[in-house]
Amino acid sequence: MSSAQSGEQMTPRKRGKFASFILDDHRYVLLGTSAVAFLGMLLSSQSRPRLSFLANAFTVELVMYYLLAAWLVLSAIALVFKLTHWKTYATTSPFTKPAIARVLRIASYVVWAMTFVLLIDRVVLGIASAWQVAMSAEKVPTDDMLESMCYILWNGRQTFITGFITTVELAVFGTVIAFFLALLLVFCRIQTIDRPDNDFIRFWKKVGCGFAKVYSTVVRGTPMMVQAMVIYYGVFGLFRMTALTTTQINGIWTTFLAGLVTITLNSTAYMMEVLRGGIESVDKGQMEAARSLGLSQWQAMMKVVFPQGIKFAIPGLSNELVINIKDSSVLSVIGTFDLMFATTTVAGIYYQQFRTALISTVIYLMLTMLASWLLSKFAKRFDVKSETMGSTSDQTMLGEE
Amino acid sequence: MTQTVASEPMVRIEGLRKSFGSHEVLRDINFDVMPGQVVTIIGASGSGKSTLLRCINLLETPDAGHVWFHGEDLAAQHVDVNRLREKIGMVFQGFNLFNNMNVLDNCTLAPVTLKKMKKAEAEQVAMKHLESVGLADFARASVQTLSGGQKQRVAIARALCMQPDLMLFDEPTSALDPEIVGEVLEVMRGLAADGMTMVVVTHEMAFAKTVSDRVVFMDKGVIAEEGTPAEIFGNPKHPRTREFLSRYLDD
Repeated sequence: MSSAQSGEQMTPRKRGKFASFILDDHRYVLLGTSAVAFLGMLLSSQSRPRLSFLANAFTVELVMYYLLAAWLVLSAIALVFKLTHWKTYATTSPFTKPAIARVLRIASYVVWAMTFVLLIDRVVLGIASAWQVAMSAEKVPTDDMLESMCYILWNGRQTFITGFITTVELAVFGTVIAFFLALLLVFCRIQTIDRPDNDFIRFWKKVGCGFAKVYSTVVRGTPMMVQAMVIYYGVFGLFRMTALTTTQINGIWTTFLAGLVTITLNSTAYMMEVLRGGIESVDKGQMEAARSLGLSQWQAMMKVVFPQGIKFAIPGLSNELVINIKDSSVLSVIGTFDLMFATTTVAGIYYQQFRTALISTVIYLMLTMLASWLLSKFAKRFDVKSETMGSTSDQTMLGEE
Repeated sequence: MTQTVASEPMVRIEGLRKSFGSHEVLRDINFDVMPGQVVTIIGASGSGKSTLLRCINLLETPDAGHVWFHGEDLAAQHVDVNRLREKIGMVFQGFNLFNNMNVLDNCTLAPVTLKKMKKAEAEQVAMKHLESVGLADFARASVQTLSGGQKQRVAIARALCMQPDLMLFDEPTSALDPEIVGEVLEVMRGLAADGMTMVVVTHEMAFAKTVSDRVVFMDKGVIAEEGTPAEIFGNPKHPRTREFLSRYLDD
């Protein structure tokens, strides 16, 4: 399609890629808008929801439908023209004449507007109608998917809200506490023997570094679900040795606390590795220059290397929050009342596994998208590029961008 | 050593050895640096020049031998190298300015941290040195905005802020465009004229010839030949020296 030049394209304009895609390019005015028109026709052929305002204006909708169809026909003609006049399209086609191109452009906006109206009528009002039905329903409306999902969400709202808050608390507190623990641990991890150190310091540096290594290996090498069980039941067993009754222990060693401890200890290991990766990617010359001036290893680390290393680590660190939002779901295995636990609870009440799971999918997705959006804003303040949505729990170090 | 008259050598290296793995980089190095002397170390790449220089302030740990500085052996176990390094400034090939600080903070970090100087006082000293390298106007600039020559001059000023007795230069102009090598060498000439003791690893033969008091030619981890610039450049004795220098002097 390289030869297809529209009149608009002849005059070079400074626009963003996306803007020029929509506004300037003749091909996409026809092609892209055809897709939109098709979507509009598809929506139009859906059954009208109860609250549909177009139901009262049947003629209008019919006209819109045929206008959209007309656009598709028009585009098809342009396409045929293109195929038959492959080389000379730009000069011979009537569609590229400036006046017609301008009309096409305006018409394409009309197509977008009509599709938008249909979108509101069918989708937005569809959800609204479903919601209205669900609110007044006595039991789960099984026929309509949307209605039953609205019903489940509305009637299970207390459970969902409790689970949602717990998930957010686990992820936020877990990540923040883990960050500070990871800072401590990474300083143990990166200790190296320096010449002025006496034997006592040398010993403790080795112990610290060894501990950090073992910790990271064990935590990153076992599933968080298993860790949750070990921590919850392990500490529970310890409490058993005291004179406390089971009820008392449950009051102190709650499933939330156990979940928080698990997620914190787990995240600490990953964040430590991210921090270490950041610190190690600082040019070795920085440390050497600082040492050559007489700074001790610790001073050089604190004043020169670490401030640069943490900048490299910020994308990975913020990624950890998104990961924790998702991974906190495995804590339901010990009965932590998070969003996942809420989902299974609600699903059990209404015997609707799939639809309840869909609801929590949407909630989780909105939560992680919000979190990564906030974090990218935050990262911009530190002048670093943030990663897109966190990949998986066993994330790699740096260089994912 | 011929020049050993009254004063003690500032640096005395005895029997220095260093290997990386099975590769022996330095083999039994002995030499002295007298106070106020400018010693240049020349030689082919991989001959151990930089490693020797880095052994003087313990950035590389020698495997054997002694590095005496003001009568203290840096190579001894548990010696407080940090305190000794305060008196030994070093300038690197890759500048190694602290990227997280501006020019002035680069210069004041060590004096404030180690000499417990007041920030204002340290800044005053730093400004004096920045002025001497011609970069007083760039005090608040971030180091990323500087050119290579400017970076290297800042690096020299930064080292000078600790008022060192000895300055080590590790190929300070090798990463620079030929056009701006001059501005760095000019600063180094000034330092030498002020009586600073310097050990310079360099490929700038003109500099070695005109500025240094003594030239050391290294080959395959040993000092093949040393002497005054006139001796080394005028009448090299060792065949390797002649071979090495002929490449430069032909130009």
